[in-house]
Amino acid sequence: MNRTLVRILLILIAVAAVALPAFAGDYPLQVARNIMLYMALAISWDMLLRSGQISFGIAGLFGIGAYAAILGVVRAGMPTWLSIPFAAVFAALVAFLIGFVILRLRAMYFSIVTLALGEIFRIIVHNLHDFTGGPEGVVMQQGVMFGGNASKLYWLVLAGLLVAIAASYWFEKSRIHFALTAIRNNEISAKSSGVDIFRWLLLAFVVTSAIQGMLGGIFVMSYGFAAPDVVFSADFTLLPLAMALLGGVYSTRGPIFGAILLGLVAEWLKLKIPYGHLVVYGIMIIIVILFMPQGLKNLLKPAAKRAEGRSA
Amino acid sequence: MIKLRTTNLTKRFMGLVAVNNVSFSMEEGEILGIIGPNGAGKTTFINLISGIIMPSEGRIEYKGQDITWMPAHERARIGIARTYQLIHPLENLTLIENVMVGSIFARGHSLKEGRRRAENLCHELGLTDLERDTSRLTILEVKKMEIARALANEPEVLFLDEVMAGLNSDETKELIAMVQKIAREKNLAVGVVEHVMGVIRELTHRVIVLEAGELIAEGKYEEVSRNPRVIEAYLGGGAA
Ligand SMILES: Nc1ncnc2c1ncn2[C@@H]1O[C@H](COP(=O)(O)OP(=O)(O)OP(=O)(O)O)[C@@H](O)[C@H]1O
Ligand SMILES: [Mg+2]
Repeated sequence: MNRTLVRILLILIAVAAVALPAFAGDYPLQVARNIMLYMALAISWDMLLRSGQISFGIAGLFGIGAYAAILGVVRAGMPTWLSIPFAAVFAALVAFLIGFVILRLRAMYFSIVTLALGEIFRIIVHNLHDFTGGPEGVVMQQGVMFGGNASKLYWLVLAGLLVAIAASYWFEKSRIHFALTAIRNNEISAKSSGVDIFRWLLLAFVVTSAIQGMLGGIFVMSYGFAAPDVVFSADFTLLPLAMALLGGVYSTRGPIFGAILLGLVAEWLKLKIPYGHLVVYGIMIIIVILFMPQGLKNLLKPAAKRAEGRSA
Repeated sequence: MIKLRTTNLTKRFMGLVAVNNVSFSMEEGEILGIIGPNGAGKTTFINLISGIIMPSEGRIEYKGQDITWMPAHERARIGIARTYQLIHPLENLTLIENVMVGSIFARGHSLKEGRRRAENLCHELGLTDLERDTSRLTILEVKKMEIARALANEPEVLFLDEVMAGLNSDETKELIAMVQKIAREKNLAVGVVEHVMGVIRELTHRVIVLEAGELIAEGKYEEVSRNPRVIEAYLGGGAA
């Protein structure tokens, strides 16, 4: 398979994404919405990974965005449309503040701290009962955005996905690509070439957190409900991670392919084996990590490039 | 004009004094040899000047400005560049992209202008086929890329930490001529660490000798190489 084929595939996906609401019923639209949401999260996770930092904090920032949005609407009377950018800005602000501390950490230490922070956010929301509604969560009295109209909600998620894709493309095509790749490959060399490592890491962390927060806002606006165990669910960390790994990391299209494949398989497994699907899913992820460290993306490369990809 | 000066520069690693009270200066247009036995502190000295590590004591001045505590990436921007003894190419970037990094970050050029300048540098150094993966380069090409990457900062002071190591004599000759030409054309102050004395003799105007972190001698290669203390340091260190 070659570059042209990848391009054709991507165009087909884009056409399908735009055409879907015209003929699909509520169930396929619901599945597609889920896949797009996870796809956008996978892309945002990959964007930070390009600097070498492995975040396990996706669910944490997603949950923060979700609560920022719903509390903005319920407690501050914010219009629903405004709650989504507000969620993005709030998550960005939180990321900016914690970034000053945690972006000094590397490798496993960074990963574990992001995981712990997500848990801390969940516990805070859990315990601020009067403001957040505690473990029972909050319900939007005015109901779901767009009155629950399935195709409008679909467009909303698609818009969120396009924001993530645009940001990822910006990361790939601008000097950010050089900064993050240099940092991932060798921080000392990067410094000696004038790369202000902390600044670029902070930028990447804040932007990806804003995207994750925005998606949390979109999620909560389309369900009209938030509870700590729902919006801080580990699924929001693990599934995007698996999708990016399956599709191939350090690119935009890797997470796109990975999310479609894993999303469809997960849905199919859910129907076939309602109780065992997560086990099968887990086994798939392990196989991908063990045997395809470069993901599916590697299969889409010309043969000559493939060998290099493996050693990279 | 003095470009770089250190005063009583000292670096301790736990109990070990890797650089001990070193005061020296480097002039514009000068090629300075930095020699000494293995473990003498040459690389540590360059690490201190380029800001990769911070000193325990002492002071570093660049063009009259105190840069003792300045972060490494800022030193790269004001004109200090170096190569690494243990070369680490940015393996997920191509040859030309490796060189571009300095142009766009140390110099702040746009991607387009950065690429143009990086291409010029590569041509000057005789590097071709610039879209190659760094894993496809010969040793000589890797060394040239390392030099090109440092030059992409458009530095005024450049340190080369054993760039000739691992090259055969023809390649070494080529690189010596190249370094001389570049230093002259760009009016650089160059600090050269090499173990091969022939290279030092041919390339440098002046030499400083480190032993166990201390500066024990300074002068033209011919003088320094006759200095009994230097001879003893090399014999004692086991590397002649
Ligand atoms: N980060 C570090 N931590 C502890 N000790 C160090 C560190 N870096 C260097 N050293 C020690 O400092 C001393 C000087 O090392 P340095 O690498 O500067 O020597 P060198 O003159 O460059 O040697 P060579 O010719 O082998 O490259 C050595 O004893 C080395 O083990
Ligand atoms: Mg050394």
